Order: sequence, then C-alpha cells, then structure tokens
Amino acid sequence: MDLLQRFTHGEIDAFETLARQFQGDIYAWIVRIVRDPGTAEDLTVETLWRVYRARHRFRPDGNFGAWARRIATNLAIDHLRRNRPEQSFPTEPAGVPQPDPLVQRETRERIQQAFRRLPAKLQVAATLALVEELPYDEIASALGTSVGAVKLRVFRAVRILRKRLSHAGITPE
Amino acid sequence: MKEHEDKYMTEHNDREIRDALKQSFPPVNTELRRDLWPDVLRKLDVRPVAVPWYDWALAGLSAVMFLAFPRLVLVFAYHL
Repeated sequence: MDLLQRFTHGEIDAFETLARQFQGDIYAWIVRIVRDPGTAEDLTVETLWRVYRARHRFRPDGNFGAWARRIATNLAIDHLRRNRPEQSFPTEPAGVPQPDPLVQRETRERIQQAFRRLPAKLQVAATLALVEELPYDEIASALGTSVGAVKLRVFRAVRILRKRLSHAGITPE
Repeated sequence: MKEHEDKYMTEHNDREIRDALKQSFPPVNTELRRDLWPDVLRKLDVRPVAVPWYDWALAGLSAVMFLAFPRLVLVFAYHL
C-alpha cells in the first residue's frame, strides 16, 4: 500500500511523512497571503489538522499538495475575513504632492489599510496576482475557481482600491 | 481613438496600483523557521470531541425531567 493510501486509512506514520514533506509548501503559500509569519505557522498547523480530519475525502490518486493548498487558501480567506479592519481613513484633498519620506511611509500604510479592507476573496486574488505575481492558473487552482474568475476578482480589487485611494486623496507613486 | 486612450489610461492606472501595492507590501520570507509536526500532533491529541448543542439540551432536559418526575426513570429503563 502506498503512502497516500495509508494516509487515507488513517495511518499516523504516513500522515507524519506527508506533513513533514508538505508543511514548508503550505506555510510558504499561506504567508504570501496573510503576510505574517506567526499567523502563517498557526494556519499551517490548522491546515494539516484539517487535512488529517478530511482524509476520507481524499482520493489516493489525487494531488495531495494541490488539495492541501486549497484547504490552506480557504483557511487564509477565513482569517482575512475575521481580521478585516472596519475603520476607514479620513479623506484628504486629492493631488497633494508627497516628497517627504515620512509622508511616503504613511501613504504606504494607508494603501495597506485600504487593501486590507477589500473583501477577503478579492484581497487574496490581488495579493497573489499583483504582489506575488504568481501565474493565474496556479491561483485559480488554489482558489478552486477558473482563471477568468481570478482575473475578474483582480480587476474588481483594483477598481475598488483605485476608487478608495482616490477618495482618500492618495496618489500612488 | 478615444477607446484606445481610455484603454491606455486604465492600463497605466493598473500599473500604478500594482507598483504601489508592491511598495506597500515588501516581500515576505517564505522559509518555514521550524518543524510544525509537534504542534500538529499536539492538536490531534488534545482536540476535544465537539458535542452539538442539541445533545447538551437533550441531556439537560432529561436531567430536569428525572429530578421532577423520578418515576420516569423506571419507564425510561423499561424502554431501554
């Protein structure tokens, strides 16, 4: 019986081998989304725990890494949803020049804040596509959706972000 | 011509947003710093079995019934 079959039968040794083999990949994927190492570690542990609990639903001829990554993505989305900031920032007159490094830092923080207020699914798609510059098919596979749907989410994220930044008087450099 | 200009402006704005995001979110270290297997194993061991709320409600209701009407225990035992 191969490793994946033993895993689906609940053998803890087989699961340990898989967990040690894939924990780095799962962590790397989650930290790209949540951007915090501590949170990413917690969510990786939670992902592996859920993977073990859902082992009966896994087909031994399937792709374990892709399956685990999808579970990890859903957990990361839930995390972003729970921790989405509610407060909006005050508006300022548009078109103000910002040469001061302190002002630029503040601008970056406000862009981060505006970005984190996006709906979680849009935020994840935009992070992976625009910040991490990952291929759309890889993002689509992890989100369990089509490439077209990912492109639409990125488009919507950019549109909302542009509108909010413009409303707050922030001009991207 | 107008369409072409609009498309150019949209692409330009998208690039600006992308650049702004890349500046606002510096690259993260994707290397895992420690082995997480012990944490996973601990979670597998200690995670309590979740009892649904309606089971607790049923147990509570039964306890109240048995306290209020002790003879019900006999009826209950008979049907077991």
